[in-house]
Amino acid sequence: MTVAGTHQHRRAATRVPLAVSRMSWYLLCAFLAVSMLLPLVWMLTIALKSNADVNRLPPQFLPSQFHWANFIDGPKLVNFYRLLLNTVIITVLVTVGSVVSSMVVGYGLSRISFPGRKVWFYLFTASVFVPPMVGLIPLQHFWINMGLIDTWFPLVVPAFLANPVLVFLARQYFLSIPFSLDEAARLDGAGHLRILWSIMVPLTRPVWITMAILSFQLAWNDYLTPLVYLQSPGKFTLSLGMAAFVSDMAGGSTSQYNYFMATNLLYMLPPLLLFFFAQRYFMEGIGAVGMSSK
Amino acid sequence: MTATSALATTRTDVAAPGSRRRNRDWRAVLTGHLFVLPGIVGLGLLIVYPLATSGYHAFTDWNGLTPSRWVGLKNFDYLLRHDPTFWPSIRATALFVLLSVPVSLAAGLGLAVLVNRRYPGVRLFRTIFYLPVVLPSVAVLALWKYLYDPQYGLADEILRRLHLPTVMWLGSSRTAMPAIVIIGVWGIGGTMIIFLAGLQAVPTELYEAAQIDGAGTVRTFFRITLPMITPILLLQLVLQINAAFQTFNQVAILTKGGPGTSTDLLMYKIYSDGFGNYLAAPQLGYATAEVWVLFVIIMIVTAVTLRFSSMWVYSGEGDR
Repeated sequence: MTVAGTHQHRRAATRVPLAVSRMSWYLLCAFLAVSMLLPLVWMLTIALKSNADVNRLPPQFLPSQFHWANFIDGPKLVNFYRLLLNTVIITVLVTVGSVVSSMVVGYGLSRISFPGRKVWFYLFTASVFVPPMVGLIPLQHFWINMGLIDTWFPLVVPAFLANPVLVFLARQYFLSIPFSLDEAARLDGAGHLRILWSIMVPLTRPVWITMAILSFQLAWNDYLTPLVYLQSPGKFTLSLGMAAFVSDMAGGSTSQYNYFMATNLLYMLPPLLLFFFAQRYFMEGIGAVGMSSK
Repeated sequence: MTATSALATTRTDVAAPGSRRRNRDWRAVLTGHLFVLPGIVGLGLLIVYPLATSGYHAFTDWNGLTPSRWVGLKNFDYLLRHDPTFWPSIRATALFVLLSVPVSLAAGLGLAVLVNRRYPGVRLFRTIFYLPVVLPSVAVLALWKYLYDPQYGLADEILRRLHLPTVMWLGSSRTAMPAIVIIGVWGIGGTMIIFLAGLQAVPTELYEAAQIDGAGTVRTFFRITLPMITPILLLQLVLQINAAFQTFNQVAILTKGGPGTSTDLLMYKIYSDGFGNYLAAPQLGYATAEVWVLFVIIMIVTAVTLRFSSMWVYSGEGDR
């Protein structure tokens, strides 16, 4: 009896601080979550404000009435749907290009045994440490000489030349798959492309989905590359169009910010949707990239 | 074409025994290189070619239209001794790296420790903290530009509600840089996820042992958790230093280098010297020289970081 009594007593003593610490953990997380979401909620409220509301001082957090029309009028100001189409085409080409080329190169580096593959692997890995800015001016000159400036070629073609980070990821994953599988396939007369397509691609699904998401994000968000290569507004990507939109307003009045924020939300929507549907791959993929040092 | 040659690899093995071996080696070299070809072309076009030509152009006077003219060290001489904006820009870049890298690493690690629990709802918090990372940087920066507006912006509105003095944010040379760093902290979720993966890879036996020895939470963190994730910390440190030195979007969209030269990061200066006044006088040779200065700085800082890493990075029990 006494033993049980002291036992219970001790458990109660440790349980109270535990509950308190759990409570404070929730409070802290909730506070951080609200402050991180606040800018986004604020953006939504501005996107719904009328022209009069958005310029009222002192600013009100909530709109006096919801102006859903901003989501129609705002995009018109920057020719949004044209830019959206441009961005979608470029992003799809870049994503497909980098995933396919990096998978092929990663396969070659891990599954085909040939003299020299170690050297190439080390060269690719080392090239990650050459900052992209080194290529900025020489490559612009290169594309000018090719007569392809102000086209989408400079944005899309490099994607088909395998991205070293993605090659690294693909290779790591390929190496984890048993080699007995390809030996069996080879006995059946399958070549490397067959093995890659019908055995490896289904088995490496997580890694190429991650690769696709990483390159989608890179292409959708890229600002400097299109800025350097594109000149005619009809060929702009959304990042260029939105940056031009915001710098137009910086000069004059702030009256168009409701339009701007509505358009900005539409620009954020595709990556957001992708995130909600493929959340696991986003977070696990980033973790995998970061852990690759081990 | 690639398909047939790859398929043929295994079919041609039925040759004379003597030449079979050599034939197969030769085949393997060919097939292997065909697979690696996109990477080789990429390496040549995107890395070797730019390194070689820019190594030359850094010593030339070149506007991209007329042929470049060799000027020796003149670009570097002007850069280091006469360019009125070079040293302020180095100062701004150094300040940005010194502010943003430690702040984002510490905040990312803190957040990772916070969400490394098994409480119900923790996945929701992880998702919310990660959310800003998926948003396009131009969209995020444009949002924050308005958020920092002294009259209409949310930041000063909150300060006013709390009866605190308001801040000029991007409008003052004293606060512009911290304001840019704060935006980076908002996007800390990527660093958080990487550290979280590292935290979850720490063997639980270590924590059990520490608990038996009666070590407290703080002690466990500094004696076990932190040493165990130092390899990831090092990689993040190197990558983030690299990224911070090449920061461009923030300055291009928020401040254009101002007020004064307070946020004129070297990467932005390179862009404005090389492309900014494109129609007037593109100084591509000069901008290339600046690229090389920045590249060398990054290499030195990275080398120093790696050189001294053995002092604090845990490298396992003799397995490397």
